[in-house]
Amino acid sequence: MRVAFVGKGGAGKSSLAGTFARVLASTGERVLALDSDPMPGMAFSLGLDRTDAGLPDDAVEAYDDEDGRCRYALRAGLTGTETVERYARRSPDGVRFLQLGKARGPRWDNTRQHFAFQRVLDDLPGDGWSVVGDLPGGTRQPFLTWGRYAETFLVVVEPAPASLLTARRLARLAATERAPRVLAVANKTRHPHDAQWVSERTGLDVVGTIPYDPALVDADRKGRALLDADPHGVAAAAVRLLVQSLQEQKEPT
Amino acid sequence: MKIAVVGKGGSGKTTTSAVLARTFARRGHDTLALDCDSNPNLGISLGLGEEATEHLVSVRDAVDTGDEEHASDADDLVQRFGVEAPDGVRLAVVTAIQNPQPGCP
Repeated sequence: MRVAFVGKGGAGKSSLAGTFARVLASTGERVLALDSDPMPGMAFSLGLDRTDAGLPDDAVEAYDDEDGRCRYALRAGLTGTETVERYARRSPDGVRFLQLGKARGPRWDNTRQHFAFQRVLDDLPGDGWSVVGDLPGGTRQPFLTWGRYAETFLVVVEPAPASLLTARRLARLAATERAPRVLAVANKTRHPHDAQWVSERTGLDVVGTIPYDPALVDADRKGRALLDADPHGVAAAAVRLLVQSLQEQKEPT
Repeated sequence: MKIAVVGKGGSGKTTTSAVLARTFARRGHDTLALDCDSNPNLGISLGLGEEATEHLVSVRDAVDTGDEEHASDADDLVQRFGVEAPDGVRLAVVTAIQNPQPGCP
């Protein structure tokens, strides 16, 4: 399956996406995790001790287009699939992890890697691979640019007005583009009716409900993966159910 | 005084901005709250309500579709596109992206 997590900043995309990717991998699927959020949240939730998983400089080369403008591409002969094979880091449970649009090592200017990574997205590993993406918070272009590989978008929604409003905007944006499948994940729920509230206020089907779990807050605080800090807790169990629900549903074609 | 509130998603930027704005307004300052987030929710935190906050964005849609003239300057923007929020805070949304185009990151 190819899924991407979207939603308001702070809704829990990175924590859920990393956990989701590991759970999916533990069911036997080959999983590529893609983080296109400028903040390295997904590396933490995957349980990686290094958060640096961008493209190295020598994977990217600059060229001038017909109009003489500087463009960036993967170096000649390097395909997107090979980029994943060579440069993705391996997390616990065997997830392969790559950060989009980032350079390896500390620096400010990520322009080369940023644009070259579009070529990686155009040539992701095909059959036999699942892709789990963590997209930047908010409503900025999730469907067109960084999330264009996804067949299913999971909107992470907290039962609170700003998060619900963001989800409605995302649902509208999705409807105007190539019409991918968009489902909601109700996160940090504290009340039995929260999932229903999320569904009513967003117009989206809720495919999973993750109860508020202090263990997840604690794992975030420590920069640890939920699956390492509290693998049998309420939130981890709910993510397993979410993975199962999606595996049982037929992917849209 | 001009203050910009920044930080990671979910860390509390919008809530902090709203409380600052209403506190200044209550103390008698003319206060302008600018929502510069591409996913603007400041109206909700200011107490404007969900509907009015969504409506603010649809004003931007009207500009995009040509039903409204673009603001000629900053004062015009605040006058025509701003709304009155509780405690007399003036709120304007300046950056909502409703119809993104491919290409820009």
